[in-house]
Amino acid sequence: MGRKNPLAYFGKKCLVFVFSIFVLSLAVFYISRLAPGDPLVSYYGDRVEKMSPKEREWAEDKLGLNDPLLVQYVRWMENAVHGDFGISYKYKMDVTEVIASRLENTLILGGLGFVLIFVLSMLLGVLCAWREEGWLDRAICKIGTVTSCIPEFWLSLVLILIFSIGLRWLPSSGAYSIGKKDDVWDRIVHLILPVSVVVTGHLWYYAYMIRNKILEEVRADYVLLAKAKGLKKRSIMFRHCLRNIIPSYLSLMAISVPHILGGTYIVETVFSYPGIGTLSYESARYKDYNLLMLLCLMTGIVVILCGILAQMINEKIDPRIKATEEAEISEVKKR
Amino acid sequence: MSSQFEIVGIRPADAKPPVRRQKWYRGKPLFAAALLGLIVAGCLGCGYIMTKDPSYMNLSNCNVAPDREFLFGTDTMGRDIFSMIWYGGRISLFIGAAATVVSTFLAIVFGALSGTAPEWLDTLLMRLTDILLSVPNLLVTVLLQAILGEANVLSLSLVIGVTSWTSIAKVVRTEVRQIRGSEYVIAAKCMGGGFFYILRKHLTPNFISSIMFMVVMNVRSAIVAESTLSFMGIGLPLEVISWGSMLSLSEKALMTNSWWMILIPGAFIVATLLCITSIGNYIRKKANNTQSNL
Repeated sequence: MGRKNPLAYFGKKCLVFVFSIFVLSLAVFYISRLAPGDPLVSYYGDRVEKMSPKEREWAEDKLGLNDPLLVQYVRWMENAVHGDFGISYKYKMDVTEVIASRLENTLILGGLGFVLIFVLSMLLGVLCAWREEGWLDRAICKIGTVTSCIPEFWLSLVLILIFSIGLRWLPSSGAYSIGKKDDVWDRIVHLILPVSVVVTGHLWYYAYMIRNKILEEVRADYVLLAKAKGLKKRSIMFRHCLRNIIPSYLSLMAISVPHILGGTYIVETVFSYPGIGTLSYESARYKDYNLLMLLCLMTGIVVILCGILAQMINEKIDPRIKATEEAEISEVKKR
Repeated sequence: MSSQFEIVGIRPADAKPPVRRQKWYRGKPLFAAALLGLIVAGCLGCGYIMTKDPSYMNLSNCNVAPDREFLFGTDTMGRDIFSMIWYGGRISLFIGAAATVVSTFLAIVFGALSGTAPEWLDTLLMRLTDILLSVPNLLVTVLLQAILGEANVLSLSLVIGVTSWTSIAKVVRTEVRQIRGSEYVIAAKCMGGGFFYILRKHLTPNFISSIMFMVVMNVRSAIVAESTLSFMGIGLPLEVISWGSMLSLSEKALMTNSWWMILIPGAFIVATLLCITSIGNYIRKKANNTQSNL
């Protein structure tokens, strides 16, 4: 990496980013439109079946669905650059408005899940590495392996079965009870189950990575030196080893964002939680093109940004890692 | 030991007596293999186990809790869950295997192509995989499948396979780059061996052990993907019995509090996944090439 010119470095990253987004938008646009399915259904509902061919044509003309795909894409692009992403066929509102009303919910769920995973995975990793091969470590490893094998949607179902139907402690769906939108406590109660599913689904994967990273670090020679100097185990672990793994921890967490996001989408669908996940599922299903486009782009931007971020952290730690040699990332992405 | 001086750096391992000869089964995931074998055998030989016709809707016996006649109960459409488990397992396992074959094949060809290609093409191909890799698999699968419409077993395996090859391809590429300059590869090239010949004869045997773990894990994620998609209603339809599509009735099951409809198919999925994981971990420990520790 030519580090002499930071401007060129960031310029290159930006170029990669813009190019990726462009390819993504083109791909989503073409795939969604070439696929079978009738977008008119989501706009007009059941009335579509009673339409005469002439009315159909008029309706398609009105939504601009009759032009060649390339023309449609260029038109979409022109409007999008000006900040106009079109209207949602189903909700008959500006796409941005539809998303804005749901975005908050997903951010709360995903953000809370991410923070919990961020903290807990470090704690668990340190705990396991501290008691390496002890009974606690083994027990946590076993439990972790089991939890990583449980599909998220099934875990959600089981939790609903136990806590909302069996014990009747927690609500099984939604983000808040009707009419209690601003009630913080009500929201927390609704969040408990989804967040715990998001966390258990991903936690062990990252905790295990961190545990192995620490174990690798503990075997380094400087630990021996520190021990010979008479430092305590605790201070070696926390002041030396942990400090060394923090960069790789951060890049790991940058990569984890898209995964947690993907998990959030599933969990949202099971709990019918009104967020981006349920929205993108619906829009893909009912061919709500404009909505689908923007949602895919938003997800894509987050995902690609995180990837570039992780890559930058990696290059910062170890200049030997060139843009093409990312053993770290390929190891992480083993799912 | 005196309290003033502590000897540092002695490994406790030195004090151990010489290792006794280990039994052949030590460290091998025997239990997991046996359980997996049992499940696979049961699914393949479902004709001998099933007590009922799995697709027959016995409407007079909807939502029956497990009893002597219906060992695992019946679902909301009156089908016998015990028979459906074995019958549907075939499809779930088949999708797991087929998707893995698709993704492994793609990964090996793509990775080897990128590994042996000139620098600029290699960079281009790897950029492409990076972009694909950074998108969550399941999300792409959901979108693809939702867009493709009604799924069948083959299209679903294809979609799952096509979305999950990137990480293996990266490992293959790294391994191929290490050995592409070896004498035997050059010799084979000089004698006129084509790309696929060299790939089959010289490259694959060298990197197969390092991707084996990921291949096994791919079976696992394919099974999860199938059940998740079918559960969400964009995978297999209700009439095609699989573990995932059995769970797609769970919304109704929750309303009637019929736990057996959710717990039993799920337990089978989790048991299968656990077995596959422990076998995969064993393979990883054995072929300790890419993983540095443990």
